[in-house]
Amino acid sequence: MYLRYPLGPLAVFMALAWSPHVIAADEQLPKADRILDKFVEATGGKAAYEKVHNEKWTGSFEFVGKGIKGTATSYSAEPNKTVIIVELEGIGSMEDGTDGDTVWERSVLQGPRIKQGDERAHFLREAMLQAPLHWRKLYKQAETVGVENVGDQACYKVVLTPNEGKPETHYYDKKTALLVKVSMTMTTPNGEIPVENALSDYRGEFGLLQPHKVRSKVLGQEFLFTIDHAEYNVDIPKDRFDVPADVKALMAK
Amino acid sequence: MSIAAAHAQPPLTAGQKRLNIESFEFIWSTIRDQSWDPGFDTVRWTAVREELRPKMERASTMPQARAIMREMLDRLGKSHFAIIPADVYGDLDNPGEAGGSATAGLDVRVLDGHAIVSTVDDGSPAAAQGVRPGWEILGIEGVSLAPGLRRVAGQYAQSTTRELFLARSVLTKLSGAAGSKVRVEFLDAAGTSTAKQIERIEPPGPLAKFGYLPPMHVWFKSRKLRGDIEYITFNLFLDPARLMPEFGDAVHSCADCPGIIVDLRGNPGGLGIMAIGMAGWFIDTPDQRLGTMHTRQAPLKFTVNPRPPVYRGRLAILVDGCSASTSEIFAGGMKDLGRARVFGTRTAGAALPSAIDRLPNGDAFQHALADYISEGGRSLEGEGVIPDVEVKLTREALAAGRDPALDAAIEWIHARK
Repeated sequence: MYLRYPLGPLAVFMALAWSPHVIAADEQLPKADRILDKFVEATGGKAAYEKVHNEKWTGSFEFVGKGIKGTATSYSAEPNKTVIIVELEGIGSMEDGTDGDTVWERSVLQGPRIKQGDERAHFLREAMLQAPLHWRKLYKQAETVGVENVGDQACYKVVLTPNEGKPETHYYDKKTALLVKVSMTMTTPNGEIPVENALSDYRGEFGLLQPHKVRSKVLGQEFLFTIDHAEYNVDIPKDRFDVPADVKALMAK
Repeated sequence: MSIAAAHAQPPLTAGQKRLNIESFEFIWSTIRDQSWDPGFDTVRWTAVREELRPKMERASTMPQARAIMREMLDRLGKSHFAIIPADVYGDLDNPGEAGGSATAGLDVRVLDGHAIVSTVDDGSPAAAQGVRPGWEILGIEGVSLAPGLRRVAGQYAQSTTRELFLARSVLTKLSGAAGSKVRVEFLDAAGTSTAKQIERIEPPGPLAKFGYLPPMHVWFKSRKLRGDIEYITFNLFLDPARLMPEFGDAVHSCADCPGIIVDLRGNPGGLGIMAIGMAGWFIDTPDQRLGTMHTRQAPLKFTVNPRPPVYRGRLAILVDGCSASTSEIFAGGMKDLGRARVFGTRTAGAALPSAIDRLPNGDAFQHALADYISEGGRSLEGEGVIPDVEVKLTREALAAGRDPALDAAIEWIHARK
């Protein structure tokens, strides 16, 4: 249950990535499964995650320093259904979603599109409502490879290799056990795009700690997602996760 | 900046000077850190900073400070690097103040050194005064255009942007505050000189705002030509929430037509992603690209997402030297993919993808992020799109009410029926 959001449309606008400085690699490193399980405990524990059957959050989205802002709304339900809608000033609406099988993207700019391959697999992983509990099902390998600073926080660096797709590097704060950064390469129709997500402002709701800010660096540009309000186990219309008609039309072809 | 002009400006406070120096450093370091060019000469760029920073510290007015920042950008010799003064930003609630962008309702191209009216907007003050395409503009507000046009032509003699800057140099003089009047001396089609006092009006189309770009009027027009060809034109690739559906509707309204013409003459570009989205209505095969944007770290493909029902008839794209940026990405990409036939004259060759940041002093800074290589393997920057069919605009054709590039496109579409 990380902060999920669409990156495909954003990729069209930008450029870069940065390398964190390795500060220690020779200490005894904990195994990755301990770090990942500790993250579950630090964010509320298994029982708290299992109480969550769906989630809705509203917030904002911003191209940092570019004067482009918008609203974001996300609906999720177990096991792995998600729809995220971003309304950007001057651009219009962008929607990413899945009914747990078909993964789509729709926007006024590009029309409807069905995601496939690594891109689909990545979105389905992100859509998993209780993803931290199920990492063993989602990733075939997890390895602690070092300790690095993220800002002034010393973090365990864990490389997670998904069952389908490219490895992701997760950084867990040594003190708090919270996930503070994810580095990965997104597979998109526009190419392989390096992305860094910095997660912060963890706050508790419904017995769970969740990052309320995600600052992304994508090809030299920065994007900021902020959750203003999150709700759990709310009434979400049953058809909320239905495949939209224009996407169905693509599937029929 | 002349001494007299500098003296007319209020002197900067110590705080404003500090913000200008911070802005200077922001610009310099952004270009150093984000240049996509693998051959970027950091030693030379450092020397530019060392040369201009003392001048920046001595700048006593905003125009002086901006001139120094622009001089730094000019050293790059690339398009899409610009300083946009803070006072250019209009308030969406107060469009009349939007940078004095009201126009006389006519467009201009400079042909063989002469400023020629290329179009006159229906219902505009210029039309009401009887101004016609093909008329030459001799002077504005009593000042002859010829010397200025010669200077601009000389400055851009070797550049593909020559036509763009020549036209802009005239249009800038025609623009001003809404409701104000501009005195224009014309030579009409019969060779008679005539002067007109033309009221400036807001350009057509609603104001659109995107990030730190100044608010701009965006219009879209489509109509049937000769009953079976859809003609589409718009002035900017902006306001996608409105423009994209209008474009899609226009394409779909002519699903069985033999041809569609997209006229990008005079269109200076906008959001690159709109070109990709529009291409989706004409391309039915996945994984087709208009081109690739090369950043320092990774290439970004401009991959087209097919948008069924895809139009399968003939597509003609009209361009000229005032078609720039996203217009070139669309025209060049569709040409390289073999999906469109391009008519007109070579485009401006100003096609670098860019972003706009806010500077500490409140101005905005546009800077290129990447090079752009069309699917045919050519950089559009400094080269432009060369039409499949070169058709030059002439004063005689305009005066006769003809549009040679449009006529050629129509003929091609009907010949392929």
